[in-house]
Amino acid sequence: MAQEIKSITLVAPAFKGINTEDSPLAQDPSFAESADNAVIDKRGRIAARKGLSVLTTDKTELGTGKLRAIKEFRDNLGNTKIFSVGNNKILSGTTVLADETPGSYTITSDNWKIVNFNDNVYFFQRGYEPLVYNNTGGAVVKLSTVAGAAGVVAAMYGNEVLAAYGRLWTADFTTDKSTVYWSDLLIGHDWTGGTSGSINLSKVWPDGFDEIVALSAHNNLLIIFGKHSIVVYEGADSPATMRLVDTIAGVGCVDRDTVQYTGTDVLFLSQTGLRSFGRTVQEKSMPMSSLSGTITTDIIRLIRGTGEIFKSVYHPEESFYLITFTNQAITFCFDVRGTLENGAYRVTRWPGTGFTCYGRKDNGDLLIGSRFGIGQYTGYKDNNLPYRFKYFSPELTFGDASKLKFLKRLRPTLVGGSGANAIFTWSYDFGTLFSSAEVGIRSQGRSDFNLSEYPVYSELSGYGISSTGDVDIGEVVVVNKFLGDFTSAPTIGSGGGALLEGDSYFDTAADIFYVYISSAFVDLDTLVPASVGEFSDGELVSRNSINANGSGSTITIGLEADINGEELSIQDINVLALIGKTL
Amino acid sequence: MGWFEDWIKSGDAVSDIGGGALGAAGLALAKKGYEDVGEIGERAYAGLAGEGGLAEQLRGMLEFQPYTVTSATGGQFGMTQDPTTGQMTYQMATSPEEQALQQQTLANAGMFFNQAAMPVDQREQDIFQRMRTAMSPEEERQRLEMEQRMAAQGRLGVRTAQFGGTPEQLALAKAQEEARNTAMLNAMQFAGQEQQRQAQLGTGMLSAGYVPQAQLLAALQPGMTAAERQRQSLSEQAGTYGQTYASGLQALLQSALGQANIAGGVGGSIARASLGGLFGPST
Repeated sequence: MAQEIKSITLVAPAFKGINTEDSPLAQDPSFAESADNAVIDKRGRIAARKGLSVLTTDKTELGTGKLRAIKEFRDNLGNTKIFSVGNNKILSGTTVLADETPGSYTITSDNWKIVNFNDNVYFFQRGYEPLVYNNTGGAVVKLSTVAGAAGVVAAMYGNEVLAAYGRLWTADFTTDKSTVYWSDLLIGHDWTGGTSGSINLSKVWPDGFDEIVALSAHNNLLIIFGKHSIVVYEGADSPATMRLVDTIAGVGCVDRDTVQYTGTDVLFLSQTGLRSFGRTVQEKSMPMSSLSGTITTDIIRLIRGTGEIFKSVYHPEESFYLITFTNQAITFCFDVRGTLENGAYRVTRWPGTGFTCYGRKDNGDLLIGSRFGIGQYTGYKDNNLPYRFKYFSPELTFGDASKLKFLKRLRPTLVGGSGANAIFTWSYDFGTLFSSAEVGIRSQGRSDFNLSEYPVYSELSGYGISSTGDVDIGEVVVVNKFLGDFTSAPTIGSGGGALLEGDSYFDTAADIFYVYISSAFVDLDTLVPASVGEFSDGELVSRNSINANGSGSTITIGLEADINGEELSIQDINVLALIGKTL
Repeated sequence: MGWFEDWIKSGDAVSDIGGGALGAAGLALAKKGYEDVGEIGERAYAGLAGEGGLAEQLRGMLEFQPYTVTSATGGQFGMTQDPTTGQMTYQMATSPEEQALQQQTLANAGMFFNQAAMPVDQREQDIFQRMRTAMSPEEERQRLEMEQRMAAQGRLGVRTAQFGGTPEQLALAKAQEEARNTAMLNAMQFAGQEQQRQAQLGTGMLSAGYVPQAQLLAALQPGMTAAERQRQSLSEQAGTYGQTYASGLQALLQSALGQANIAGGVGGSIARASLGGLFGPST
């Protein structure tokens, strides 16, 4: 008797991210066994991450080195400058990396932390005299050379620096791992005068001993991360009277560069995974939430890598927290939009990216450091090369692991991926031998239909005015405010008010479209569009059908695709399987 | 005189009297009366001022009599005169207990004066140390309490350019330092007061050390009064004796003088009578 083909749709597969902690059989299909170079997009789908668009064209000063830190300097006057470190140098710029290292200042390590503070940018690294730059001086100089500098001695050459509560805070020194120093109020180069000071935590650690790794500020709290414990001080805006409000034993921070302030929370990588202080604020105590509960084993294994260099970034625009194990070339991407039932963030993995550091610009751009210099997280290529997007489901039982399944057809709904080849794979019963089928996604063309073009006039864009119309037929429908048809130029603007830049009218007598620019009506035909945008035919959705074969009690389905300039996401995968006998 | 009376009574006078003989006899009798007056004067001189006379007797009677006064507490005051040189000597001795007390109080007085005379700075330091010793436990409790509070607040290791440590630690240190300064000033003041007090005590002890002596002298007064009365009594007795003696002697002298006058008168009369008959009518 013929068996019914059962249709099971995996809606938004892997939208819960990777789960390598739970049993594959018991897993929700919403998890993924593997999600490489993927993110959870704004619609909750697993999608290819964006790529690295390298901005640097001249990395002579970087040589064969890699960037290890990026920071955008900003001051109150709006001056900005991108600083980076690599190849034992202080570098600046994005397209051309210029050496900003002070003269007679020898650097042998690139483990700098850079912070903005009071119109200055400070560079701290253990064992090195801190450096400082401001727009007035125009050069990176040693902190001790700043006029009024005090207390800039080897004892305060810390590895960690925090700009918070109107001061610089530094810790993690070569021989002193228990002291935090703070500068005078608003004076980052005065470490002995005014209200500067220090606190020794050697008698505070809950476990009796620890070493300071990182500092963070949150909710008027000064959070001091040790390797194995955390102490929290309240009232750090007045350090002399700040007091201990909480201590956490057994949870510490593995590295200074894993701590990220998200605005409402502080994320950090502990020895057992990603942690947050989210509940601390609510409960005024320290129940720690595990944010990497679905990849705990994997992340612990990576943390234990000898000499690992950790880099992280919180990027609110993309809603993710990236933690990169640079020596092992693994990045985990935690989606911070929400948490799973177990309190963990949805996580994907970015292997082999070569990303070595991150920096978020004030405008929201995410800068990425690598051996190529400085790049931006944008586009869908890594330095003009494709990268592999990969998804593998957990073992799917279709509700009954005891019955044989004959996979007949896969019908994925893919969004984007114009012109890409997607390779679908499947295997049975935990096997590593996969069957595969390649699907070519059609190329998405550009389409013009009626109002298909957006002319951009430089004369108008200066006013922030856009226009809509069909340049080919000389039609402009809207330029700011269309006042109507007139036989002569109107003198009153919209609503009886004054004429505004960009107001337009159609002269029915002369058959001319006029636009009000610089206090005069100008024939739009006399203007030349700087560019013309075009409509595409919308979002590319592919629903290819793939014939599958083989049988087994559990099925793993995968998708791999080279991302080469086009985004790609998986909306769903419809699986047609024949349910057979009970095994 | 006896012979004259005997001579008269015997009638020998009449019989003897005869012309010139009788006048010679009268002159002899008058001469004898005259000589008797001189003898009486010598006798009076001898009786009053001569050896063993009244003056000498009174001198012996009015000589100083040594005496001794003993107080109720055993102190003694003795007044003696050197029998050879006549030098007066008085001896005053308090009782052994009083002497011991006096020595003790005088020693104490010396001690207090010595203490008062010592340099004050060392005493100030000693007093300050004692005050600090008294204050230290409370300061230690406050320090421990502060330390505990700082530890609870995780602020033991705070060092600031503004306060040195924490503001609380500075406040406590300032309070303790102020207390220390106050103690130092108080120690200086107390040492000065103590110096004055020791001087006063020394003075008091010194005064007290002479109290037995003063009391002995006070007790001497009644004794001296008694001795004076005795002396007065002796003086009165001597005076009375002298007066009586002088009266007796004067009576004797008067009697002798009367007798001499009689003898002289009789002798003169006889002589005049005898010589008158010779040289003129009798009357």
